[in-house]
Amino acid sequence: MIAWYTSNAVVVQATMTTLLLALSIQLPLRMGVFSFAGVGCFGIGGYTAAILYTKFDVGTWPAVVLGTLLAGILCYLLGLVIHRLSGLYLGMATVAFTLIVAVVATNGGSLTGGASGIFGALGGINNLHVFLLLALVIAGLAISEYGRFGRKIDSVREDPELAAALGINVSRHRKLVFLASGLIGGLAGAVTTLLRSTITPAEINFHMVVMALTVIIIGGSSSWLGALIGAVIITWLPTLLSFVAEWESIIYGFIVALAAVFLPSGVLGLAKGLIHRWRSRRRSTPPAPPSSNVEKASDDEPSSPEPEHSLASTQGGTL
Amino acid sequence: MQELLNTLTLGSIYLLFALGMALAWSTIGILNFAHGAIFVFSAFSAHFVSEYVAMPMPMLILISVLVGATLSALTQWLAFEQILKRSTNHRSAELRVLIGGIGVAAIPIAIVDRATASAPFGFANSTYKSEVYEFMGLRMTNTSLIVIIAGVGIAVALTLWLRASRQGLGLRAIGVDSETASLMGVNRTVMAIGTMAIAGGLAGLAGALQVFQLQAMGVATGDQLLIKAFAMIVLGGLGSMAGVILGAFVLAGAETLIFAVDLGTWVDAVSFGLIFIVLLVRPQGIFGRQEVRRT
Repeated sequence: MIAWYTSNAVVVQATMTTLLLALSIQLPLRMGVFSFAGVGCFGIGGYTAAILYTKFDVGTWPAVVLGTLLAGILCYLLGLVIHRLSGLYLGMATVAFTLIVAVVATNGGSLTGGASGIFGALGGINNLHVFLLLALVIAGLAISEYGRFGRKIDSVREDPELAAALGINVSRHRKLVFLASGLIGGLAGAVTTLLRSTITPAEINFHMVVMALTVIIIGGSSSWLGALIGAVIITWLPTLLSFVAEWESIIYGFIVALAAVFLPSGVLGLAKGLIHRWRSRRRSTPPAPPSSNVEKASDDEPSSPEPEHSLASTQGGTL
Repeated sequence: MQELLNTLTLGSIYLLFALGMALAWSTIGILNFAHGAIFVFSAFSAHFVSEYVAMPMPMLILISVLVGATLSALTQWLAFEQILKRSTNHRSAELRVLIGGIGVAAIPIAIVDRATASAPFGFANSTYKSEVYEFMGLRMTNTSLIVIIAGVGIAVALTLWLRASRQGLGLRAIGVDSETASLMGVNRTVMAIGTMAIAGGLAGLAGALQVFQLQAMGVATGDQLLIKAFAMIVLGGLGSMAGVILGAFVLAGAETLIFAVDLGTWVDAVSFGLIFIVLLVRPQGIFGRQEVRRT
């Protein structure tokens, strides 16, 4: 185990930072807010932390905290401005926000290092720290997926009008999700930058949006577990299959396109569906006649467990 | 005056690119994220052929247009049509089409990136020679003349076609309500594939002309142009072809101005900023109507 870890520490680290970034985009998606602002916040967090650390002699952790907070605040302000837009318009506005961050970073003069970015911002962060931060973020997200709060989020996504009629303040939820997404994105940026010691404007581009989206789409958009599956697949595939590394972008393109067509809820959705089918079949087979009624019985099963799970499998079309 | 001429040339290429995207988005409701990739790939195909055979300009343009149209129609048929068939509600279909487009776009871009080793490519081997005309102190190449004529001409023709022809009417009917339109005898699937082929052909045309105009094209051009085209469509208002024409020239003018005052590195921020401002101040665009969607 230890030997395995030491030889793969870099890939483990990449998995964790990719996951953090993907989570910052997945959270708004779960609320039906198609926001890519998390990638811009990655840039804000990363640049803020790197500038504070290299130019103002701020310690590692204060730099991370300030970067995270600044990204969160800016993303919340963005949310205040654009949360009323819907669907594609919101998506493109947040892509525009992300790309503006890159343009500002390119033009920041000596502060941001221009097009070549910032070097030598190697902070005192190790993989254990990243793991703990990640666990903290995931714990928060996991809480938001279960029980009353989880159902609230599901209803805001599935039917905002209905949610409003049930007394849920939809617009407040939508604004707050920008804050949360910005904080996670900023944290991802700050941690990644201080781990790798560099950040350049070229990183915060459309490609990063695509990468984060790929992770979510492959894994599944309904839960943090989906992002974890996606991040593991995306970062480990090139190390396991050498021909993948060579044709990486083409293969990812195919995977994303195929997933969008055939597997809208990702690997996680597929697994959940299979488990659900297997469970209901096992329960309903003994009393039911062997052939015809099996499917029917699985549909109106009385003791359908965990309401948010069955909801998640029926809303497979969300992504 | 020279700036005005540059604006016209730049705007015409923007226009050709954005027209196809706007046509597909406003009628069949598909925002094709692979449009930029199709633009790059079709220009690259023409470049690829021109490496082996010295060709005149019209042939290269024809190759580019055909490749673009084929690629776009295939994308519609193999990806978007399948997504629409499989999704239950409008909103999820929209998002899946977007993601599917992003996935499809990665494939041709990766192929071009590998084939060119990320270096810009051009039509060095073409028999076409660019000539410079001087007229009242204005410099103009024959290329930019062709670009402007093609851009404005096609934009006007497409607008008129959409407004006056029977197919145009059918297409607009799909845009308003695809179910009712199909009950009235509009074949949605065929129309959609045809529309996407036209859109892809326009992207191919824009690609070839861009290479002739600027001598070279980089792989990343497609993505930038995609965002810019979105800015143009949003500015003019979705569903209005006149809006796209206006949007293209406004954006081209603004960018030319930024270059003229020597702030070249900020040039990308113009379109992004424009998207923002328009969406905030007037989300339906200058010529757009407020979208009404019944559930």
